[in-house]
Amino acid sequence: MLIYIVRRLIVMIPVTILISIIGFIIIQAPPGDFVSSYIAGLEAQGDIIEPELIDSLRARYGLGEPIYVQYFKWVSSFIEGDLGYSMIYREPVVDIIAQRLPSSFTISLLSLILVFAIGIPIGILSATKQYSLADYSFTVVGFLGVATPNFLLALVGLWLLFKWTGNVAIGLYSPEMQNAPFGIAKFLDLVGHIWLPALIVGTAGTAELIRTMRANLLDELPKQYVTVARARGVKPTKLLYKYPLRIAINPVISTVGWLLPVLVEGEVLVSLVLGLPTIAPVLLDSLMQQDMFLATSIIMILGILTLVGTLLSDILLAIVDPRIRGAV
Amino acid sequence: MTEIQAGRTAIDELAPSAQGLNGALLSVRDLQTHFFSREGVVKAVDGVSFDIKPGEILGIAGESGCGKSVTSQSILRILPKNGKIVGGEILFQNDDQIVDLATEDADGRLLRDIRGKEIAMIFQEPMSAFSPVHTIGDQIIETIRIHQVVSKEEAHDQAVEMLRRVGLPNPARNIDEYTFNLSGGMRQRAMVALSLSCRPKLLIADEPTTAVDVTIQAQMLELLRDIQADLGMAIIMITHDLGVIAELTDRVMIMYLGKEVEHGRVEDVFHRPQHPYTRGLLASIPKMEPGRVEIEPIQGVVPNPYAMPSGCKFHTRCPDFIAGVCETRDPPLVEVANGHEVSCFLYGGREELD
Repeated sequence: MLIYIVRRLIVMIPVTILISIIGFIIIQAPPGDFVSSYIAGLEAQGDIIEPELIDSLRARYGLGEPIYVQYFKWVSSFIEGDLGYSMIYREPVVDIIAQRLPSSFTISLLSLILVFAIGIPIGILSATKQYSLADYSFTVVGFLGVATPNFLLALVGLWLLFKWTGNVAIGLYSPEMQNAPFGIAKFLDLVGHIWLPALIVGTAGTAELIRTMRANLLDELPKQYVTVARARGVKPTKLLYKYPLRIAINPVISTVGWLLPVLVEGEVLVSLVLGLPTIAPVLLDSLMQQDMFLATSIIMILGILTLVGTLLSDILLAIVDPRIRGAV
Repeated sequence: MTEIQAGRTAIDELAPSAQGLNGALLSVRDLQTHFFSREGVVKAVDGVSFDIKPGEILGIAGESGCGKSVTSQSILRILPKNGKIVGGEILFQNDDQIVDLATEDADGRLLRDIRGKEIAMIFQEPMSAFSPVHTIGDQIIETIRIHQVVSKEEAHDQAVEMLRRVGLPNPARNIDEYTFNLSGGMRQRAMVALSLSCRPKLLIADEPTTAVDVTIQAQMLELLRDIQADLGMAIIMITHDLGVIAELTDRVMIMYLGKEVEHGRVEDVFHRPQHPYTRGLLASIPKMEPGRVEIEPIQGVVPNPYAMPSGCKFHTRCPDFIAGVCETRDPPLVEVANGHEVSCFLYGGREELD
C-alpha cells in the first residue's frame, strides 16, 4: 500500500510538468504579451506607467526571449513560491490566491458535503423503493437538476430569497461583517450566507449522484450474496447497508477526487451572479485580459488539485475495496 | 377425490400444531407460489406436496423452469419481490413446535431465526455467494453470532473448525481470505461451511453442482455425503442432473411446470419410471454402453409459462396422450407401489371423470 502511494506520487511529477507546459503554451498562444496589452489598456484610459516597472517585468520574466526560456524562468520562480504579479489587480498573485482560495474551498467543500448528504440517501431510497411515487418524483427532480444551468438557479435563488426575506444574499458576509475579525459572529454570518451558493453549486452533482447511486444499488440488490445473506438470517437493514450499499458506493468514492476541481469550475457563473469573492471569477478575468501569471497559477493549482484528488480517491477505494487492494 | 387428497383435506381441518408431522421434519402441503408481472401470472409452483424426515436426502429434479428452485425459495421465504405464496402450507418442526412458514412474516423474527440456523441453503454459484468485499470468515462469524450468543473469539474458533471440517487446507488462514483469493473448489467448500456454520437440521442445496466443472462436482457430492453422515442433517437436493440424484439421494420428486409428476424411492423411480415425462427424462441421458448411441429427446418444447396447457401440463408433449382425458383435467396422484406415486391418467383417476 505504501509502495503504491509512493509510486503514484512519483508518477504525479511528470504529469504535473506536462500540465504546466500545456497550460503555459495555451496561455501564451494569443499574440502579444500581457505587458503590452496592459500598457495598451492603461494608455487607453489615459494612465501613465513608469517605464522602470515595465522594463523590470520584461527582464524578470524574459519577455521577448524564446518561449522555453520564458517557461523556465516562470517555472523556477513558481517553484520558489513566487507566482508572479497580476496586472489587472496590481497585486502579487500569491496574495490574490490567498484571499480567494479559502472561500472557494469552503463553498466547494460544503457543496460536496451537501451533495453526499442529499444524494446518497435519496439514491438509496429510489433504489429500494423502485418505481414508487417517491422514486418517480426524485427522478423528475433529478433530471431537472441536471438540466438546469447553475447560473439560472442562482438567479432564481436570489429572487426567491429577496421575495421571502427582503435580503439580497450577495457576497459571503453581510456588509458590516466584511472587515470584522474572524470569530463566532462572523462565522455565523458566513453560515447564513454560504448555504445558498453551496446548494446551487451542488445541484447538478446531487442530481447525478442520485442517479448513480440508484443505478449502482439496483445492480447489487438482486445479486446472489444478498440472497445468501438473507438466507442466513441477516436483518433487512443490515442486508442493505452492510452488503450491497458497501459495493454500490465504490464508484462514488472513486469520483470524489475529481469532483473537487469540477466544483471549483462549476462555481464560476454562480460566483459572478452572487458576487462571491472566490477564485473562479478571477480566473475568468485573468483569461480574458491575458493576465498570464494569474491565469497560469490558477490553472496549475486546479491541475494539482485534480491530481491530488484522484490519488486520494484511489487510496480511499483501495481502503474500502479489498479487490483493488489486492491488485495494487 | 383420491384417498391421498381426501386424507390431506382431513389433516388440513386440524390446526397445524395439533396434528404432528408424523415424524417429518418438514412437510410441504399443496404449495402454490405464483409470480405476478405485467405480462400476467406465472404459476411457478402449482400444488406441490412432499415430506422430509430428519436425516433424509430428498432430490427434486426437473428441467429449468419447472419450479424446483422456487419451491426451495418458498420454504425459506426468500422469493423475489414479485413472487407470492398463494396457497398451501410449509410445516416445519421447530424444536417442539410446528410452525407454518408459508404464513409467517417473510422478514419477521421467526423466519430470521430459522434461516441459517434450522434451515440453511447452498446456492449455485460459490463465487457470488459471498460478498466480494468481506472475508469469508466475516460472513461465517456473522451467521454464527446472529444465531448463537457467543463471543467473537468463540465464533471465530467455530468458523475455523467448520472450515477444517469441509476440508479447506489451511482454515486458520483461509478464514481471513476473500473469495477472489480462493480456487473454485475451495470456494465451494467455504460456501458449504457458511451454510453449515450453525449446524442446521435441514440443508437445501439449490443446484450446487451446476456451475462447476466435473471434478469439483464430484468433490462436492462426496463432501455433502461426508458432512451428512457427520452432522446428520436432512438434505433437499435440487438439480436438473439425474446423475446427481442417483449418486446422493434416498427419494426423488420429479417436477414439470410447477407440478409434481412422480415421486418415490430413487431405485423405484429410476428402474421403473411410470410417468411418460420421467421416462423421457431418463431416455434423454446419453449412455456409455456400446450399441446405445442414440439419445431420445422429449419431443416438443416447454410451453409458454403465461399460457399453460389445460389438464395435465405434459399432454402437449406426451407420447401416450389420451385424447378427451388428459387435456380436460388435472391427473390425481396415484400410488403405483409402496411409496411410489405418479400423477398420470395411465395409472388411474380416469373413472372419476364425469
